[in-house]
Amino acid sequence: MIHARDVTKEYLDGDGTRVRVLDSMSLDVEAGDFVAVVGPSGSGKSTLLHLLGGLDVDYRGEVKVGGVTLGGLKDKDLARFRNTHVGFVFQSFHLIPNLSALENVLLPSYFGPRTADAVKRAEALLERVGLGAKKDRAPVRLSGGERQRVAIARALYGGPRLLLCDEPTGNLDANTGDGVIQLFRELHREGLTVLAVTHEERMSVAARRVLRLKEGKLVEERATERSVLGGAP
Amino acid sequence: MRLDALSRLVRLSLARERRGAFFSAFGVAMGVGTLVFFIGLGLGVGQVIREKIFPNDARMVDVVPAAVSLGSLLGGGKLDAEAVERLRSLPGVEAAHRKMNVRVPAVTRYDGAFFGTKLRMGMEVLAMGVEPSLVKGDTQMGEFKDPGEGQPIPVLVSTRLLELYNKTFAPARKLPQLSANMIVGFGFPVEFNRSYVSANSATGPSRSVQTQVVGASDRAMFAGITIPLETAMRINREAGVDADTFTGVTLVATDPSKVPALVDAVKAMGLEIDDQERRMAENTGAAVALTTSALALLSILICILAAVNIAHALSASVRARAKEIGVMQAVGASRSDIRAIVLAESAVVGLAGGAIGTGVALLASLGVNRFAAGYLPNFPFKPDSFFSFPWPVVLGGVVLGLLAALAGAYFPSRRAAATDPARTLAG
Ligand SMILES: Nc1ncnc2c1ncn2[C@@H]1O[C@H](COP(=O)(O)OP(=O)(O)OP(=O)(O)O)[C@@H](O)[C@H]1O
Ligand SMILES: [Mg+2]
Repeated sequence: MIHARDVTKEYLDGDGTRVRVLDSMSLDVEAGDFVAVVGPSGSGKSTLLHLLGGLDVDYRGEVKVGGVTLGGLKDKDLARFRNTHVGFVFQSFHLIPNLSALENVLLPSYFGPRTADAVKRAEALLERVGLGAKKDRAPVRLSGGERQRVAIARALYGGPRLLLCDEPTGNLDANTGDGVIQLFRELHREGLTVLAVTHEERMSVAARRVLRLKEGKLVEERATERSVLGGAP
Repeated sequence: MRLDALSRLVRLSLARERRGAFFSAFGVAMGVGTLVFFIGLGLGVGQVIREKIFPNDARMVDVVPAAVSLGSLLGGGKLDAEAVERLRSLPGVEAAHRKMNVRVPAVTRYDGAFFGTKLRMGMEVLAMGVEPSLVKGDTQMGEFKDPGEGQPIPVLVSTRLLELYNKTFAPARKLPQLSANMIVGFGFPVEFNRSYVSANSATGPSRSVQTQVVGASDRAMFAGITIPLETAMRINREAGVDADTFTGVTLVATDPSKVPALVDAVKAMGLEIDDQERRMAENTGAAVALTTSALALLSILICILAAVNIAHALSASVRARAKEIGVMQAVGASRSDIRAIVLAESAVVGLAGGAIGTGVALLASLGVNRFAAGYLPNFPFKPDSFFSFPWPVVLGGVVLGLLAALAGAYFPSRRAAATDPARTLAG
């Protein structure tokens, strides 16, 4: 699903010095895997997600996701890739405040081809994340956990095979966080590939693999061989 | 990007930024409204000048004999029958209408009923004979031709004279208002070969004839009466004065574009062009056009300010929406999609502002016309409407609103498209 080879990413600092965040990093993720990426703040976890999701193409090396080589794609094709191949879930949800839950889930539909059943599909996704009854609510009238579920439904709208999650439980208390983690587990069980950046112990426990980002490279911290596939109850 | 999706997103963000959108549209409406208003006013006043004050057919050229008789010394410059024939055969000439002044003085003495009051007056009269073909369509009674000895002479009066009479002469003297229709049939006596001016020693006997108004014409002589050419020639002949050379010939070109060449040909014949009227029309028209241009420039300035205002407001809104733009990019918006959304938002504001401004300008013009009709004193050539709004002006107003808004949105939309999602979404 993910094949990254010798990826180097540098930022230009304020004073003109180059800061190397990813340094000849390589990563391979099988389809259907559940990977947690851990690492201290500022180690480049978000940067990695943005590269994998086609939000940032300014790097050296090779990144191939879902069979699509991202380097050198035109902006239109990158947008198309983000619309259909990956779903993003962010720490602070990033819902659009003046849109209802349903309309937030529908947002990706505006950038894809016209489909007659867009609303039905969005409603089904909200149903799937347990928010069928609250589809017309504005984000402010939803709890944090509910907001993240809406964001997950939105990430699923384009039918991606890969979910890229940046601290998805970072803004949630333990209980609601658990609920969201449970949801990721279910999605993973249904065949989705999940790559989540996390600080959360429980999240990495749920994952089949844990990678640590250290000095610009990914190090395998724990690999579970089909043991807890589906996760613990 | 799909149009339905674009319109949905634009509606959403306009609904949220209602206040900003309102002020942006208001600015556009101000600029467009004043522009449409002033252009409509300029066109309207120009139209009154062209059609009422100096009615002028672009195809017509008034030929007169050379004022300085150098031409006549060389055998040219005279407007006799032969010269008229030559004029008529010039390329591009469709018709040539001859004119001849009555070359003896004339007076009128009136003492009798005058449209419900009594009128007593006497005055000098100028008379000009024109070919019936020149004033065809203006005659409302009988035929405009020489009636022969002893019969009432058909007379056309100038529409401009009638206008001046109604607006200034009649009110001051408590005389009734007259329309062209009313004066048809009115008869008054004219004595040819007679003058109140003592120095003007007329020779020979005076002859008194009855005249009858048969209509009003733009082409009639302003300060005098216009009679059939044959009548004028007969009177001149009977009085023993020049009845062979014409006072003027009005040439009608087949096409306005032929006029310049025609003018050159006429001048080559040693004749002159009487373009006093045309020049006056042009000068007045130019004054109006200049004033209109100055006001239009001011309005354009307002439009530019409106565009700057939009640029300013939109920049702020794009900055405030950076996160939202990043989210859209994350779920599949391309840079051109983002650009299209911002441009479309502004386009809607501009179209609305343009349409509202144009509409208000049209309403304001109605208001001004109403005010003028109700409160302004009657002055000569006072029109029913001071405005003219041909459809390109109306459409242009709306389009200008759109263009101003798009110009204002140019940089903000680029800036929005350049949003780096990785930066705005992190954290
Ligand atoms: N747009 C940018 N310009 C310059 N430097 C950047 C930019 N984005 C990130 N960085 C730097 O790159 C490094 C990695 O940032 P990144 O956001 O990927 O870290 P992170 O691992 O996600 O941290 P956190 O756990 O706090 O979210 C940081 O040192 C950060 O300052
Ligand atoms: Mg981060």
